[in-house]
Amino acid sequence: MAIAEAPSPGPLTATGTDPRNVDGQAICITVFSAVKWWGRPWLPLVFLYARLVPSSTGTLARLSFIHFARWTLVRRLPEQRLRHPQLFFESNFNGGWEEYIDAFSHILTRGMTVFWGSSYGFPKPLPTGRFKAYIKRHELVASHFYSAYPEATTTIVLSALELDEKLRAFRARTKGMDPEAFARAWQAFLTEVQGCL
Amino acid sequence: MPLSLNPDRAGQAGALTVLTPIAPGAEPALRAYLEGLRAGPSPLSRLPRTHFGRWVIVPDLVAEDEREPTRLESPQLLFTASFDGPLDAYLDELCRVLAAEAREIWGRCTGVPSPPEGAALKAYLRAHHQRTGYFVAAYPQAAVDEVRAALSQRDAVIAFARAAQEMDPAALQAAFHERLGG
Repeated sequence: MAIAEAPSPGPLTATGTDPRNVDGQAICITVFSAVKWWGRPWLPLVFLYARLVPSSTGTLARLSFIHFARWTLVRRLPEQRLRHPQLFFESNFNGGWEEYIDAFSHILTRGMTVFWGSSYGFPKPLPTGRFKAYIKRHELVASHFYSAYPEATTTIVLSALELDEKLRAFRARTKGMDPEAFARAWQAFLTEVQGCL
Repeated sequence: MPLSLNPDRAGQAGALTVLTPIAPGAEPALRAYLEGLRAGPSPLSRLPRTHFGRWVIVPDLVAEDEREPTRLESPQLLFTASFDGPLDAYLDELCRVLAAEAREIWGRCTGVPSPPEGAALKAYLRAHHQRTGYFVAAYPQAAVDEVRAALSQRDAVIAFARAAQEMDPAALQAAFHERLGG
């Protein structure tokens, strides 16, 4: 039963989401879901464990299309009592909405159950159709979304940062080289950083 | 992912999540204002430590199968940012640099100080800040200016690599020092 719906989304872009959720290559997702009574003690433990044992979310970190993401348990609002706490999730990513949810479902199957299992109506991550419908029902369209580097995917940002480190090292080790040695070092450098270009 | 005990931090990056009640009847004008921001450069581009930011209107909460669903007494305005450095300094900057926009945005919320600016606005935003549970950053140690510089440099390296294909060693070395430093 849906007691309220977000305003009708606009036409979907090629990314599979409303254009208001898009800035260049960057896409935002914003989801609230009501949490069952046992989620109130459970989710803070999940969050604490994820922070203390970073390897527990290593798969999430390896998803190469997420810039920043967060989960928050909203227990109260200053001006009103919440009968059920709300799990707030947001992500800033690139690619397509469908592919994003597919990756969450298939790669983070157990993790999604740990994070959303205490939410009312959560259908389990697989099969993805029901999970996508659940996320769609709870997703809100941004009125304004901003990325500081909208044309860069997460992979490109990570590549650029890695390249920067390697270029510094290259500069240091080629200082004072004669031109012939420099040219050889440059060719070796290009091979070394080809994955960053 | 580096170990972080502060849930609002991942490396040097911070997460800000603010939920404020929208004043009765103010939602349509607020929505129109926020959606109109797309017509020009985002005001958030004037906060150079902002990686990503968003304003989202939460008209109500969506219920599933709970017996007594929660209904919001008033729609909420969600503001989130992923930013560099300490929260205090970021809020100071936001309240100073976005003073005009803040009047149009948080000025349409309940309980906001009048005028909605400076220290009073900062206190209001802090009071409505929701502490993060778990915050993930792909590049937690890189600030916005570092990311942008690295992206520009990557473009420069790609362009140089193409241009340098036919250069003899002496010209290659000279051009590298000229275009890529070192």
